[in-house]
Amino acid sequence: MPEKQKVPVVKAGDVTQRVGVEVIRARGVDVEKLIKMLIANAAAEFASTYYYYTILRMHLAGHEDYKEICEDARLEDRAHWELIVPRIYELGGELPNDLPAFHDQAGCRAAKLPDPPTTVNILTLLLESERCAIRSWIEICDLTFGKDPRTYDMAARILNEEIEHEAWFIELLAYERDGKSIPSGHFRRGEPGHAPYSKNAGFYNP
Amino acid sequence: MNQEPEVFQIVLLLSDDERSIQVKREEHIWDAAFAAGISLPAMCHQGYCLTCAGRLENGGEVDQADSLVYFPADREAGFILPCTGKPRSDLRIRTQQQNQMREFRKRSGLPAPYSWSKD
Repeated sequence: MPEKQKVPVVKAGDVTQRVGVEVIRARGVDVEKLIKMLIANAAAEFASTYYYYTILRMHLAGHEDYKEICEDARLEDRAHWELIVPRIYELGGELPNDLPAFHDQAGCRAAKLPDPPTTVNILTLLLESERCAIRSWIEICDLTFGKDPRTYDMAARILNEEIEHEAWFIELLAYERDGKSIPSGHFRRGEPGHAPYSKNAGFYNP
Repeated sequence: MNQEPEVFQIVLLLSDDERSIQVKREEHIWDAAFAAGISLPAMCHQGYCLTCAGRLENGGEVDQADSLVYFPADREAGFILPCTGKPRSDLRIRTQQQNQMREFRKRSGLPAPYSWSKD
């Protein structure tokens, strides 16, 4: 059990405070820091990856299998964005009312089309983007573990999918660049954008 | 003939301690610290998020070519990113400077991830 600190009691009818925030603050969550991290991760999912993956996918010409997998990662990142935003507002935060400012908050770089836009360069960029996402989501897991079950559950679901994305792109890049087989071990997806963890769909578990 | 040194002496000024490590020319400072048992903050490990930020005391040279985003203004202000920085001289680095570097970036009108709040 996390040690609880003393926090002001939220009075009946008070709409300026949230019990849902004060209880996690009492358990040691730095709520302001958490909001900043969630905004940065939301910007990474939406602006750095979802938007730019759209362009990357277009340039994987001649590799329909790679395109499909890029498309799954792209739509799942959009699902993550949709999942994060309500939590930011629940915690008392809000999104910047300015898209360029939001873009610049991203904790991971914009996955801009590489020059030259070869398949290997695109797969390398996809791989490193997923790695940045894993590193940022596990930080949120660390920050909330045992203290803020709602954010932790969300972060863990997203992390599950980012880890799978990394494994896919390792498999594709190893094959395309090195002629090696490094299986991801899975591809449990139905229609594009399935997002089994972040959309709470049933897991493939034969 | 003058040869560039292959190893540099790096002093890390931690929040509660001071440690000295040796860092090879082609080694990232963060990695060398980690190998010496010093766990510095870091997140993206790509020279982007500013979590690992440090600040040079007494100047010195750091190669930040491996960083995804690093501005000349960062260098002029003495800020470095140890997770993707390689030493080019002996250095004294004040660690845990992420908040200071983000504030500096904001004041300079440069991107400062993880810093936005509505206040």
